[in-house]
Amino acid sequence: MKTKTALIFGYNDYALEIAKNIVNEYENINIFSLHSENDSLKNKSNFEIKSFDLSDRWDELNNDVDIENSIAFCVLEDSAENIFLTISLRSSFDDLDIIALSNNKETANKLKMAGANKVIPLVQTTAEMISEMLEKPIVKNVFHNILFESGELKIAQIKMNDHSSYIGKMISDIDWDKKYGVIPLAIVREDMSSEFIYSSKLKHDTITQDDIFIIVGYERDISEFEKLIGSRCDVNWRNWSW
Amino acid sequence: MDFINRFIVDFAYFINTSDAYQRKKRFFYDILENDKYIYKKYFDIFMIILIFLSVAILIAEVKSNINTKIEFFNTYIISIIFFIEYMLRFWTSSNMSEVIIRANEHATMIGQKFYLYKALYKIIKEKLSFIFSVRAIIDLLAILPFFHELRLLRLFVLFRVFKLFRYTTSFQAFISVLSTKKFEFLILLMFASIVISVSSVLIYVMEANNPSSPINTLFEAFYWSIVTISTVGYGDITPVTSAGRVVAMFVITAGIAVLAFTTSIVVSALTEKLDEIKEIKTIENIRKLKRFYLICGYENVAQEVASQLQNSRLDIIVLDEDPKRIENAKRDGLVALNYDPGDANSYKKTGIDLNTQVKAVLCLRESDVENVYSTLTVRSINKEVNIISLLMDDANRKKLNFAGVNEILYPKGLVGMISRELIGKPVAFEVIHALRNEYYGVNVEEILIDNRINENIVYVNELDNAQFRVILLGIFKKSTNRFFFNPMDETLLESGDYLLVIGNSAFIKEFEKYLHKKIRR
Repeated sequence: MKTKTALIFGYNDYALEIAKNIVNEYENINIFSLHSENDSLKNKSNFEIKSFDLSDRWDELNNDVDIENSIAFCVLEDSAENIFLTISLRSSFDDLDIIALSNNKETANKLKMAGANKVIPLVQTTAEMISEMLEKPIVKNVFHNILFESGELKIAQIKMNDHSSYIGKMISDIDWDKKYGVIPLAIVREDMSSEFIYSSKLKHDTITQDDIFIIVGYERDISEFEKLIGSRCDVNWRNWSW
Repeated sequence: MDFINRFIVDFAYFINTSDAYQRKKRFFYDILENDKYIYKKYFDIFMIILIFLSVAILIAEVKSNINTKIEFFNTYIISIIFFIEYMLRFWTSSNMSEVIIRANEHATMIGQKFYLYKALYKIIKEKLSFIFSVRAIIDLLAILPFFHELRLLRLFVLFRVFKLFRYTTSFQAFISVLSTKKFEFLILLMFASIVISVSSVLIYVMEANNPSSPINTLFEAFYWSIVTISTVGYGDITPVTSAGRVVAMFVITAGIAVLAFTTSIVVSALTEKLDEIKEIKTIENIRKLKRFYLICGYENVAQEVASQLQNSRLDIIVLDEDPKRIENAKRDGLVALNYDPGDANSYKKTGIDLNTQVKAVLCLRESDVENVYSTLTVRSINKEVNIISLLMDDANRKKLNFAGVNEILYPKGLVGMISRELIGKPVAFEVIHALRNEYYGVNVEEILIDNRINENIVYVNELDNAQFRVILLGIFKKSTNRFFFNPMDETLLESGDYLLVIGNSAFIKEFEKYLHKKIRR
């Protein structure tokens, strides 16, 4: 039986951190190591370590894994190997979501060219966090809480109900902060393009039933808002662009 | 005699413990000698102006009669100012009362009688060493034009130019560079002296008896030798005999050698010391900075942080013990010093004041051992300064905390958290990421509510942010140290609070301007 699996390639601290954070979201977590014998001996985590080779054709994965609903993380420490792995996975699986880790901008570009859906630029992201700690400490704390911590403030993706009274209204007239206590930040349009809520492009646009709003609010307000206006939804970010 | 001894010792104690006296002495010492004292540069500039005025007047005097007032100013006022300066330097050059007190205490400790003359001898020795120092002699000679009636003494105005050395550090640096090549210069001087004296005598012997030769005295022979060896060769005196010309050929060849040797000594001294001179200049500039971020260790993350902080109002200073990484930092346009951030002496030598100048210390080496070491060093000097450190292995988190880091950033943990968000709410994550990085002109900013804004805007509904198409995400209240999301209209704003706003950068700027300008109706 095919299962919804997180495939993590590379046995290192990054892999373990990722596994720890997503363990509840997937039925299976598979960590693959290039040097599985050594790594299996050292392994102190609860995750099983499988071996893989860069020349694999991944036939086994096709049998066990529900590729469309699974995700792959490429976190090999050697950039060249990581790029090769990404391109190898993409050439075998068109529908697999691939997230890859990069150390610099150049590798990030290559990983994207190799077919990664999303690249986490490690050094850049770390530096962003540090400079935000210094220059905008409040922003850093608020966003960090919204994104990563289990605080009351949440961010959600809400799709309009078909019968919502807001459909057809001007986007610029939205006053949900007063009415429902949630603040819309951005909108994902039907063509999967995103716009900041106050962007001049949207000034004269109306809300359509396929619009997805990115809103920030307290959990209870978002739940309340959901009941009245729309429902939380996933966005397939393979097709999504900002 | 005992009575006088006692009186002088008492007086020395009185002076040494007098706050007013010590404060004044300290002030004059600082303004004359202490390069770190902020007002010293104004005093230096004032003295440099006086020197230039003095020289300008000397030049003007040569061909024209100058105003008596100007002459009075040049002869007396400037000289008196220089004299006062000389006396102040003489006064602050050593501490007489301290010498007497120490001699007295020493005598008491070993149970001997205190002899005043021993202390006086020491004092005189110290003062004489000041008087006979090159700088003090130049200072004294610069005062001499005061005796204006002696025409020769007027030329001592030129000694005032030598005083410039005192007030400009670059001159001092140049002299210190050349002084590293003392030995080479000495050899050169000996060589040149031997060539000059031998050739002077030789040319005199060859030419003096020849009636058509312009060289008739030993002085003329000496003058000719110097003009020739320096490769200047005016041509006003030339040898006419064949023997004299042979001597000339010898001197010319030696002259080329002397010139080449001198140039190479100066150039090699400068190249060897260039980095040092640059470093001295950098340290001087750092001392002038009011507030900056200190990056300890310049590796990948540090590089990226520095490039992101380039738009910050604060400067960035990099410390690293590795010359290659320092080179990289300099290539990236940063002020970087090759000092070990884990060594307490580095902060002393560079004059970095962790207390007042450094807003935050960033320990960004990709090694926990180095970061713990740097943190401990900084903490040993200053308990308050904000320290942010990278953490490479989660097992070392406690160690960094224990060393005194205020905030820790663990990149591996960050990757885990980002992964969780990416599989859960990818677009939401990307939206916030885009906001943080000011993609597409949309930005998130903190606006401080200062007294001026607070005088005119008291409640949230008076902000008018919607007019500027700016979203008010919330308020950070200083009083409770808490963030209030989507605050109600009647929420009170207080000075020190921060508004967290999202919007187009240009609109946010306009909104901020409006807040400062708005007048309460």
